[in-house]
Amino acid sequence: MSTKKTDSLAHYAVTVVGKDRPGIVAATAGVLYRLGCNVEDSSSTMLGGEFSMILIVSHEKPFSKGRILEEFRGVAEEMGLTVAARTLSPDEVAYQAPEGELCMVSVYGSDRPGIIYRVTNELAERKVNITDLNTKLIGTKEEPVYVLMLEAALPEGIVVEDVAAMFDKIKKEMNVEISVRSITPVSL
Amino acid sequence: MPAQPILCYPHPVLKKVSHAVAVIDDEIRGLIDDLLDTMRAGPGSVGVAAPQIGATLRVCVVDVSGSRHGKENNHGVLVMVNPEIVHREGAAIMREGCMSVPDYTGDVERATTITVRFRDGEGTEREISASGFEAVAIQHEMDHLDGILFLDRIVSLKTGLFRRKNYR
Repeated sequence: MSTKKTDSLAHYAVTVVGKDRPGIVAATAGVLYRLGCNVEDSSSTMLGGEFSMILIVSHEKPFSKGRILEEFRGVAEEMGLTVAARTLSPDEVAYQAPEGELCMVSVYGSDRPGIIYRVTNELAERKVNITDLNTKLIGTKEEPVYVLMLEAALPEGIVVEDVAAMFDKIKKEMNVEISVRSITPVSL
Repeated sequence: MPAQPILCYPHPVLKKVSHAVAVIDDEIRGLIDDLLDTMRAGPGSVGVAAPQIGATLRVCVVDVSGSRHGKENNHGVLVMVNPEIVHREGAAIMREGCMSVPDYTGDVERATTITVRFRDGEGTEREISASGFEAVAIQHEMDHLDGILFLDRIVSLKTGLFRRKNYR
């Protein structure tokens, strides 16, 4: 990772999505490397059959997101990738200290529409900030089970027990299991 | 003795295997004082190992009595010279942070109960059974004596490592 000061760099959010096949990460990293971009943060995973990458990259100014997309054109066509880039403002890449207690919410039950919406809307109404969320469909074709796991930072005045209690109604209505536990890191 | 600066990775000392202490002499007693002062100076710190302050010797200190996770179940201030885990039981995952790896925390699986044998600051051989957060803290500090950081124990980056800073 570069040791250059953040304020002297231009930052971009780059997303790459395409049917999974070997070589997508290497091809993406290769384009960024040749461009002189620094990958500051990234997350890649398979969603269904699609391989998806989100990267926060930086480059010394002057530079443009158009240049990134241009350089990706060949690889994108060859590998069937959809590539997008967004310019991040200095405010968007500013350091943010962790705030509030962290909790993990696990939700699972028979698959049905609306589980993500109901759970996350409950949190949004109370200004609980979701920092990570993953869903998966497991079980069998006949009896699909939906699993949702999310991490959230609680605002002042809300404790883990409050979060557990706020889901009581949804649990009954949607017939899903919801458990909440504290995952505030311990400093050693 | 003053609190010492905590070395951060990639300082090479943090990846070295520390040497066993042969005799608890003035040098070791000085090191113990430094470790205790450094632990007490660190905000919320519950333990420090010698390599974290630059000494590759098998000495660490642990005190979880001031932490909300450990205040109900602890042995107070533990000075451990040449500690050795002789029994371990159970497994639990806790999200750990380390003063030597700032900005990150990670989910690490540790034994829930351990029996650890060591010499204390006076050279007396002791054996204690620790559980819960105290057991986690002892295992974390003992890892430093073998050049192991919590990053070495994370199973999955996707689900196991978390950046303290994030993008809005």
